[in-house]
Amino acid sequence: MAINHLELVSALVDGQLTGSELEQALELINNDSSAREAFMRYQQASDILHGYTRSINQRPLDLTFRISTALDNEPAYTIATETKSTAKLFRFPDNFWKQATGLAMAASVGALAVVGVVQQQSGFDNMPVASVVANEAPATMISQSNRWTVAEPEVEDRLNNYLVDHNEYVGTSGMFSYGRVVSYGTER
Amino acid sequence: MNVDQELVQRVQAGDKKAFDLLIMKYQQRIIHVITGFVHDPVEAMDVAQEAFIKAYRALPNFRGDSAFYTWLYRIAINTSKNHLTASSRRPPMSDVDAMDATNYYDAPELKEFETPENSLMCVELEEAIQQAIEDLPEDTATAIKLREFEGMSYEEIAEAMDCPIGTVRSRIFRAREAIDKQVKSVMGEEE
Repeated sequence: MAINHLELVSALVDGQLTGSELEQALELINNDSSAREAFMRYQQASDILHGYTRSINQRPLDLTFRISTALDNEPAYTIATETKSTAKLFRFPDNFWKQATGLAMAASVGALAVVGVVQQQSGFDNMPVASVVANEAPATMISQSNRWTVAEPEVEDRLNNYLVDHNEYVGTSGMFSYGRVVSYGTER
Repeated sequence: MNVDQELVQRVQAGDKKAFDLLIMKYQQRIIHVITGFVHDPVEAMDVAQEAFIKAYRALPNFRGDSAFYTWLYRIAINTSKNHLTASSRRPPMSDVDAMDATNYYDAPELKEFETPENSLMCVELEEAIQQAIEDLPEDTATAIKLREFEGMSYEEIAEAMDCPIGTVRSRIFRAREAIDKQVKSVMGEEE
């Protein structure tokens, strides 16, 4: 293998290639087994220098074959990366909680007033009336809410991270899937 | 855009082979992280495989906000914990911060993974590599040290050593070749 090719592979290990040189290096790795082996040897030496030695054995570790075999039946992605950035998340309007708090307080005061009046008039026998009154306010509120999308990329990114993190833990924690609370919308 | 981002975008655009390179690049580190949780070498390989497969499946959702390795690292940690839970073993390091797991060398459990043969091999390799670096000409040794230990880019090294980037690249390559020769001699693969 040509020395300049190996030099290219060395620079690839360092992640210091761009443009046509990166293309060339990737071509080499994909099509030339000696370039691939050189990459793994250089990478292994670098890993040893950084203390990642627990899996060191006679030969550089290579999981690519077993993983790519396992992924053989997986579809190759065809989605352009730009389209994903437009994924939207539902969100309550900014003033939602302010309005909700106000309505909840009003409902509570109303409920207390009704309970007070009812208690004065007929004792504790008519308590269910209070719960009916209290339940009306949230129903009105929900019917007025709109679907909002996340405007701030930072917030959207954080929610995406939560989604990924959560999904990793869902299998063991017994929690509800995050998708039941927050999910991607189809609208742009 | 760095090489990892470029590779991720290629995978997202349908180039499966680009994912192979990400595996080749990070498999050693990921195994190292996983062995902090799963001490059996064969199991650790299986968990690593599962983590990479999960990463591949989740890649359409990877937006590049964090470095690819940071993201992959989290997947590896979670996969390890899930593996232990699924096999009814309590994650042994659940009270250790995930970012410290990589450097959690002194855990007695790790001795299961570190067989005497493996430990001896590691020591010999580390010594061989250190010796190879010491034997290098000064400018070559400086270039590889700045790259590997200080994590400097070629551009930064060129500036620090007052030489062209191409010179830095060839010095680092020569250093790697010298190290490789030493590693091969330790492993009995001398040509």
